Amino acid sequence: MFFRILGESFLRNPARKWLEAVALALGMAITTAAMVTALDVGDRMAREFRRLGANLVVTPKTDTLPLEIGGTDYRPVEEGAYLRDDDLGKLRTIFWRLNLVGFSPFLEAPTELERGQNRFATRLIGTWVAHEVAVPDGTTYRTGVLETHPWWKVEGAWFSEEEVNTGPGPRDVVVGASLASRAGIRPGDAVQVQVAGKVMEARVSGILTSGGAEDEAIVAPLAEVQELTGHRGEYRRLAVSALTVPEDEFGKRDPDTMKPADYDRWFCTPYISSIAFQIKQALPGAEVRVVRQVAETEGRVLGRLSALLWLVSVTALVSVALVIGSTSATTVLERRREIGLMKALGAGRGRIVGLFVAEQVLVAVCGGLAGYLAGEGLGYLVGRIVFGIPGTGRIVLLPVVMALALAVTLAGSLWPLGRVARLEAAPVLRGE
Amino acid sequence: MFWRVLRQMIVRGRGRLAVALVALVSGATASAALLNLEFDAERKFTRELRTLGPNYLVRSAVPAGASDEPGAVFNEEALEPLLRAAHGDGDGLGMEVAPSLYVIVRSPGGETSLVLAGTWLDEYPRLTPWWSVNGAWVTDRENANACLVGQQAAAKLRVRPGSPLELHYGERTAALRVAGIVSTGGAEDDQVFTNLVVAQQLAGLPGKISVAEVSVPGSPREAEKKAAQLAPQLAGLEMRPLRQIAEAEGQLLARVQDLLFWSVGLILVLTALCVLATTLALAVERRADVGLMKALGGQMTRIVRLFLVEAGLLGAAGGMAGAVMGTLLSAWIGRQVFGTATSVRFEVIPLILAVMVAVALLGALPLRLLSHVRPGTVLRESE
Repeated sequence: MFFRILGESFLRNPARKWLEAVALALGMAITTAAMVTALDVGDRMAREFRRLGANLVVTPKTDTLPLEIGGTDYRPVEEGAYLRDDDLGKLRTIFWRLNLVGFSPFLEAPTELERGQNRFATRLIGTWVAHEVAVPDGTTYRTGVLETHPWWKVEGAWFSEEEVNTGPGPRDVVVGASLASRAGIRPGDAVQVQVAGKVMEARVSGILTSGGAEDEAIVAPLAEVQELTGHRGEYRRLAVSALTVPEDEFGKRDPDTMKPADYDRWFCTPYISSIAFQIKQALPGAEVRVVRQVAETEGRVLGRLSALLWLVSVTALVSVALVIGSTSATTVLERRREIGLMKALGAGRGRIVGLFVAEQVLVAVCGGLAGYLAGEGLGYLVGRIVFGIPGTGRIVLLPVVMALALAVTLAGSLWPLGRVARLEAAPVLRGE
Repeated sequence: MFWRVLRQMIVRGRGRLAVALVALVSGATASAALLNLEFDAERKFTRELRTLGPNYLVRSAVPAGASDEPGAVFNEEALEPLLRAAHGDGDGLGMEVAPSLYVIVRSPGGETSLVLAGTWLDEYPRLTPWWSVNGAWVTDRENANACLVGQQAAAKLRVRPGSPLELHYGERTAALRVAGIVSTGGAEDDQVFTNLVVAQQLAGLPGKISVAEVSVPGSPREAEKKAAQLAPQLAGLEMRPLRQIAEAEGQLLARVQDLLFWSVGLILVLTALCVLATTLALAVERRADVGLMKALGGQMTRIVRLFLVEAGLLGAAGGMAGAVMGTLLSAWIGRQVFGTATSVRFEVIPLILAVMVAVALLGALPLRLLSHVRPGTVLRESE
């Protein structure tokens, strides 16, 4: 009997049930999409922030002070300490290895560029562009300035790192834009690069615009510069770009003073300080510093953005809850006559409330499910449009959304239901 | 008659209308708050990203040349137009300029070479807010004996805040006192910062500077425009963007805007639809009333007009209340997230009002479909 009445109620007056379910589905879709976006925004934006380049710098521990002015180190090459580049594969074995977007070692030397009769004093920078690094577990990993310095633009082509040190013939180098315009160099030109008495025949494969000191320099494969300067297998500075989470109060604490449980939690969170710590463990003799300019701004902006999106989600949620609640209330209020009739026919209060609750639950389940699916779809779409990477589906949200849908419809209908169920049958039927 | 009926309708059905009003007001509140935030977000995030520090460098247009010499120096006076723009008229508001002279100096024993930067230290707390200083910033530009020491340099020189520090350049000496230890993770960690005049005297280059760091405010496009205006006034100098900062800033800002545009846009559209579903539900329940009015001899156009006016009033009331509450809500959210209230955009209020009236009217429109219904049927059905 109960189910027959329930079924009749859905068949007889489908319009109002439909509208309620549609309102609910729309509302839950908003909530789901907003939550999916808010949950994803940290990861997605952290990746965007990697456009700022390295957020960690590795230097030798026992180094003399670099004499760096405007991005150029004026120390003589003989001075100071170096790090070994065959250790770098170990970076792919640290706990947060998958959060490393890339790293590039640098080795610099003062040099003279000879082109025809003209000589230009400048710097030779050795680095990786897209270098295959052997990882201790037997795999290889490709990294270099393409990852760590995404704002470097090359007109022409980067040099190839595969043919380094093999065979005769000119080596490919890339020349900074200011130097190139001063020396009248274009891609394809032949030049001579002189370092500490050694001469290298080179071919300019491209012109580099970086907006920094590299515009005045020559960039060559790291192995070539190591060979020329006699620092085989060595580098002086490593730029590391890593995906991190903003540091909160806990992340700023000193790991030495932590209890073991806290230490584990710190170690297993991709704070920039814990990634720095792990890199230090992997590279003996290295000093790892956080580039605060990048890290602080990233932390601030990410924190604010996700706070903003959460508040947006909550605002949408509360408003949607009120809208749906009021729809539910309307549908119940309009059925006073029906309730009166049922009462007149001898239905108890519990029975009537039970019937209406069952109806609302059915609507909530359908609407909530449809809303969840639509919301996941929208979240996927927003991720795709904004970041090019679709948002990730979160099944965790399903129970949350279903619970919300139920809570909202029941809260909306219980109050008017309580009022209506208390009414006497006769006056209601008479239309008073 | 029309107005009397309308008034009666509203007074009699106030319970039902109040419930619908809740839906309209909450929908309008969320929409107004989000629109306000969306309009303001660009400015807010532009300001946040400016904490990245200087985005332009001013250097001598003569190339640095020799690689062992720290670049060409130029006269301080050449920066005059820039400083006028930074401090003078309201146009340059928020622009920060810090001229520096770099000198390679030696520590007292002569065993360590390091870079000394003479600059306007009072500009740095605003120019490079990410510097973490153990000790104190130097807030007085004229202070001729305080200095900030980078953490690596401090470790090498074995100084702490409060320690005296003597630096040599050729025959000349500067006696300083360490005010704070700076840690930045960049080249600054290896350097010492002090008063510009002190460095100029030490180097024997009075009135010369090697570079000026400039933070041009505004979005990357505005900054570019401003820089393009200023650059021709700087004779013999080049003003060039730090691409790492400028480019990343532009792209990050575009992402943030896209993100907010799409999520806010989506929420707005769905909220409007959700409210529409509610007003439709309300209209559907009105069939009986329409039937009764028709039975009493009301013309369909008049009846429909009656309901449309009712819906319009409801939409206007909901939209108005929601727009005001939404503005307050967005100010509160702005304060929570950014520390400053969101500025009120008055164009949001009429927009929200229009949308809510439109949604309410759209919701009432299906009543017109009842024109072909015979009153008897409707009345009997509703029993």
